[in-house]
Amino acid sequence: MPTVEFKGKTFNVDEDGFIDDFNGWSREWVDYVKESEGISELTEEHWKVIDILQDYYKKNGIAPMVRILSKVTGFKLKYIYELFPSGPGKGACKMAGLPKPTGCV
Amino acid sequence: MPYDPSKPLQDRITDIGPKNYEEFLPPVIKKNFGKWDYHEILEPGVLVHVAEGGDKVFTVRVGGARLMSISHIREIMEIADKHCGGFLRFTTRNNIEFMVDDQSKVEPLKKDLLSRKQPGGGFKFPIGGTGAGITNIVHTQGWLHCHTPATDASGVVKAVMDDLFDEFTSMRMPAHVRISLACCLNMCGAVHCSDIAILGYHRKPPMIDAEVIDKVCEIPLAIAACPTAAIKPAKIKKPDGTEAQAVAVNNDRCMFCGNCYTMCPAMPLADAEGDGIVIMVGGKVSNRISAPKFSKVVVAFLPNNVPRWPETTDCIRKIVEVYAGDARKYERLGEWAERIGWEKFFEKTGLEFTHHLIDDFRDPAYYTWRQTSQFKFTG
Ligand code: HEM
Ligand code: HEM
Ligand code: SF4
Ligand code: SF4
Repeated sequence: MPTVEFKGKTFNVDEDGFIDDFNGWSREWVDYVKESEGISELTEEHWKVIDILQDYYKKNGIAPMVRILSKVTGFKLKYIYELFPSGPGKGACKMAGLPKPTGCV
Repeated sequence: MPYDPSKPLQDRITDIGPKNYEEFLPPVIKKNFGKWDYHEILEPGVLVHVAEGGDKVFTVRVGGARLMSISHIREIMEIADKHCGGFLRFTTRNNIEFMVDDQSKVEPLKKDLLSRKQPGGGFKFPIGGTGAGITNIVHTQGWLHCHTPATDASGVVKAVMDDLFDEFTSMRMPAHVRISLACCLNMCGAVHCSDIAILGYHRKPPMIDAEVIDKVCEIPLAIAACPTAAIKPAKIKKPDGTEAQAVAVNNDRCMFCGNCYTMCPAMPLADAEGDGIVIMVGGKVSNRISAPKFSKVVVAFLPNNVPRWPETTDCIRKIVEVYAGDARKYERLGEWAERIGWEKFFEKTGLEFTHHLIDDFRDPAYYTWRQTSQFKFTG
């Protein structure tokens, strides 16, 4: 598994650039990934989405459905795409350190 | 502007959808759109459509392997340029159709198509697939590209089509025979609604990769993926001695569907000896005479005998031959089996009836058993 060094932290990542372990997540990871996800500046709204994804994952063991994410953040799907151009799965979940989405994606 | 990775959203074009099909219509089709009077099948693989004003379009249908190189597509384009003014189409079963607007252009097109062979000797463009014959096999990714298959797609399809090739180029069946293949029971495609269906099947429960399951899987999704509730949450000891949240599978309740692996990469179940093929028959999608039908399982297991799957080709040939010899004109395979009774279907085809074929999935299974004394003795 390739490793990434950034600002003194080490992350193990898979071939799609998801980290191998939620517990290995840190704020540096978000900083490191943002560019490859087409984000130049992280705003409070980006962090709101990331925080909610992490809370939900810690409580429920799964990522929220898109409708739940919209409802809880108050951001319509269109706006989530404006924040995270690759979308809630490949973009936001990857930055939040959640496991890679599965199923027929 | 070329793509600039530092500004991914600049000059990005999106939501433009597919091209409008009207851009690609041959002139004779465009002119007579919505004004067709009747059609005829002139011979296997060749159709003529006659428009109200008398215009005609002749269609030559040829088999395609579906999985194609760009060089093969370029050759298809070269043929279309030479004979058809640069126009062509693909059908819903992945055959290729070349259209010409005059009968005199049909023979040169046919001759050209049949003259083209693969280096190994196979026809590049076999003509057929019309009427009451056996047309292309709708199939899936198999070992080429998917991660959940229990068998291959392209390989099995080639073996079966080689064996039934004469039925592609002729029209001597009682009705259409649609064969399709799916390499796992996700059933991408049409296996659940085909006259004969080839389905990839596992026979062993998933393994659990204790080292990574708590990291790579959303465990509640794996539990909810199981149609028989064979999966429950459990603590597991990792190789390094620590405890982790994981799942336990009750092997007695598992019927090897593989849904849990689709959701959770730490639950693989593919197995060289365990995996193989199930044969289903009797489905249809049209409403002609009888309503659409699901296909039913008639062979519980055939091995993955690569590269030619002889057990599978033999079994399908046997079913096709008995159906062709016994069914009435216009009768689809499922209509025939239901008319003579499934016990007679098994008697005539010589297929073995095993306990695997009796439905045991939830309340609806009951309705597939026989609540009548009407049956035929078989010997
Ligand atoms: C484990 C789940 C699945 C995986 C991994 C999977 C994978 C794929 C892949 C890799 C392709 C080729 C895409 C391409 O050509 O770029 C494909 C095509 C296709 N899949 Fe799936 N698939 C899955 C489930 C399904 C299901 C459940 C259906 C149907 C309900 C489906 C229907 C199709 C169809 C119709 C195509 C052909 C599309 C076309 O060529 O126009 N797939 N699939
Ligand atoms: C009660 C459940 C279902 C019913 C009644 C049903 C019925 C049908 C029918 C009638 C067709 C033919 C449509 C046509 O040719 O115009 C069809 C095609 C198809 N079905 Fe289903 N289906 C069911 C479930 C599924 C599932 C679960 C999948 C995928 C996992 C699926 C995938 C497909 C695909 C991809 C086709 C297109 C086949 C083709 O292009 O020839 N279906 N289905
Ligand atoms: S049928 Fe199953 S194995 Fe085959 S392509 Fe579809 S999902 Fe993959
Ligand atoms: S293979 Fe299917 S039946 Fe078996 S545990 Fe997984 S989901 Fe359940």
